[in-house]
Amino acid sequence: MLYVAKRLAVSLLLIWVVATVVFMTLHMVPGDPAEVLLSTGGTSPDPYAVAELREKLGLDRPLLVQYAEFLERLTRFDLGNSLVDDYPVAEEIALRLPRTLELILAGTLIAVVIALPTATYAALHAGGAFDRAASATAAVLQALPVFVLGTLLILLLAQWLRWMPAGGYVPLAQDPGRHFLLLLLPAVAVAKGLAATVFRMARASVLDQLSRDHVRTARAKGLTQGRVMRRHVVRNAMIPVTTVLGLQMGTLLGGTVLVEYVFNWPGLSTPLLRAVEGRDYPMVVGIVLVVSGLFLLINLVMDLLYAVLDPRISRS
Amino acid sequence: MPILTRRAAMVGATAFGVLPVMRLAHAQQSRDVLRFGLSVWPPNLQPWQSVGQAAGMIKMLVGRRLVGFDAAGELRPELAREFGRDPADGAWVFRLDPRATFHNGEKLTSADVKWCIEQIAGERSTAYYRVQMQGIARIETPDAHTVRLYTKEPTATVAHWFANYNMPIISRATRDMSNPINCGPYRIASQERGSWIELQAVPNYWQPGAPKTRTIRMTLVADESLRLAALQSGDQDFIEFVPWTGMAAVEADPRFKLESTMGPFMDILFNGTRPPFDNPLVRRAVAHAVKRDDIVRVAFSGRGKPLEGMPIVEGTPWWDAELSRGHNYDPERAKALLAQAGHPNGFNTTLLTTGAFAMHKDSAEVAQQYLAAIGIQAELRVVDWSTRTSLGIRGQYDLAVHGVSADFNDPDGLTVVLDTSLSAAHGRSFGLRTPRTTELLRKGREEFDQAKRVEIYKDMQRAALEEVPIVGLAWREQGYAFTRRVTGFNILPGSLALSSGVNLEFVSLG
Repeated sequence: MLYVAKRLAVSLLLIWVVATVVFMTLHMVPGDPAEVLLSTGGTSPDPYAVAELREKLGLDRPLLVQYAEFLERLTRFDLGNSLVDDYPVAEEIALRLPRTLELILAGTLIAVVIALPTATYAALHAGGAFDRAASATAAVLQALPVFVLGTLLILLLAQWLRWMPAGGYVPLAQDPGRHFLLLLLPAVAVAKGLAATVFRMARASVLDQLSRDHVRTARAKGLTQGRVMRRHVVRNAMIPVTTVLGLQMGTLLGGTVLVEYVFNWPGLSTPLLRAVEGRDYPMVVGIVLVVSGLFLLINLVMDLLYAVLDPRISRS
Repeated sequence: MPILTRRAAMVGATAFGVLPVMRLAHAQQSRDVLRFGLSVWPPNLQPWQSVGQAAGMIKMLVGRRLVGFDAAGELRPELAREFGRDPADGAWVFRLDPRATFHNGEKLTSADVKWCIEQIAGERSTAYYRVQMQGIARIETPDAHTVRLYTKEPTATVAHWFANYNMPIISRATRDMSNPINCGPYRIASQERGSWIELQAVPNYWQPGAPKTRTIRMTLVADESLRLAALQSGDQDFIEFVPWTGMAAVEADPRFKLESTMGPFMDILFNGTRPPFDNPLVRRAVAHAVKRDDIVRVAFSGRGKPLEGMPIVEGTPWWDAELSRGHNYDPERAKALLAQAGHPNGFNTTLLTTGAFAMHKDSAEVAQQYLAAIGIQAELRVVDWSTRTSLGIRGQYDLAVHGVSADFNDPDGLTVVLDTSLSAAHGRSFGLRTPRTTELLRKGREEFDQAKRVEIYKDMQRAALEEVPIVGLAWREQGYAFTRRVTGFNILPGSLALSSGVNLEFVSLG
């Protein structure tokens, strides 16, 4: 119980650190939200209008006063409103976070479904033509920038063949078929790097297991190849793969920016980018806080799980 | 041999799965819905704040201004069916269309117009035309449909002010500026912030026959390549800001039409508060140093035009062939001017630009190379747009590259760019003294005789070529592309190009 309390306290402390760092950094970089807003499109705003807007937005107050108000709001789980159009930050996140999570989950699913069987087969035939081709493909995929792949997919499948839409989003409830169709290409783009990583990890892990004594023993006992693979190789090989997969999924929370942009997928990344460009402080801090919070939550759950699986961790 | 092999079954199953997907690939096309690919999301739709052309387009479709622009770029009636200056007392008179009705069913009256002007001019206003409206000394509303405006200074372009997309007339019953009561042909039916916005035609609109299309669904497609792909793949009917690299492909494809014009332009701005750019000779050296054809080729894929004078639109009465080449590419002259200014071996400086728009960065890179050729070693400072804005307003730069458009095609519309006596702005040179240019801009604004105005503005161009408030670099082509199903759209000429979205109300789908 003490262990859980400690982990929770550390997570809350980290949230506060993240919030403070993001808040202070944003306010210190050049760029004034009122100036940027009224200069949209290259026009030159009247300085009195800028000053007036700054006052209306509360940006003319001392930074520490703004920070104190921000922390006070945070204790009430109030992320504030956008400086640009007064839209509640929490509502924006609630709308868009599920789309980013859906994209990550779909990408992960595709990556796992492709990479695991391929890696297992490649490891079983290590050094063969399939293994070499699969390893080379994984290396190419890992090196290929996501926006290049995205652009190529759009060019080929949307512009030339006209088999797929170029990008966009339709809510699941409105049109499930089109929803999944629009999800397909961005999910493939997300899956690209992940599949390559999972493939390399799984291939190495399976190879490692294949050389273990217990596998040799299982074979010597006369077990079939399928049974040896299922019960003694793949199951054990999946432990490090699962760890890597968990970490990669966490990284993807902030790593779908390019994919969402290239495919016009209205997830969390687009408003984050727009908010950074426009110095929309509450929106940036809100989104970063939620993403960091999710990341910390994943870590916390993993830590707690480890403690359950191995009581020595909590005792130490 | 079995008729159905495993391979055949797999191919069949795949096709069975893929074919319905292919049918789904493109959304259903309708004659009632125009699908429009937006380049940027409008930050907000407050009626009088200037927050970019995307917001401006929507404001023009859901609202009405007193006057608008016709296809030739001339002023045309909108809410004011007649407008002009009363020679008797110098008042600007706007006679309102008695049919005009707000979306709440109330009739438009002169009191609404008066209220709007007062709000815009108010002390706490954040409106783009705040200063201009503060220049109105008195507003008279002799009847429900007549507005008489008396300006503090004689001004020939008052009607142009009221054609700007940041000047919609809204009902004085409006309480929430985020949700103004408009009187345009469309109203906002629904939207998802940052993704899409749907406009629906107002039933029984007070202007019979308008608008032509029942629904306009605007979807944000920020990436220009994707926007073009969305048009080519049939996902969108109409796109704005056609990328220069894709214009030739659109023109060559019989399925699409490109409407484009030279309107916005790129320029170099100076910090005149310190040497060496406080010296007009150095500024003239910069003006003669840059070969504009290369900027057009590199930054705009050839879809632009060199700008070697002040940004006066060709074909207008104010344009002059000789003056338009007043800052022609002449490196020898540039070097001589530098030597005359006391910098025979050149000097080191910085050139501010933004990486947010490729055209800014590319133009700056080309200019940097040509400046180096005459001895000006300019270190490029590439920053994000917000930082660019902030540094520009505070004068924290030496040279800066900027892209902008005049407010309207009358040379007075260039005041925001050329008048260095105005407040500090990221789109104007900082702390520069160009008194003759400023004075001639004022004179032109106060003159009502067209022939005299033409001469004044030619004098203004001569003065500006010597005082160099900016260095023009290139006109850039502004384009809209749409499928052949779309009819009735015209791009507005010159600097009005960015206001062309208002013409979506005349668009029909075949």
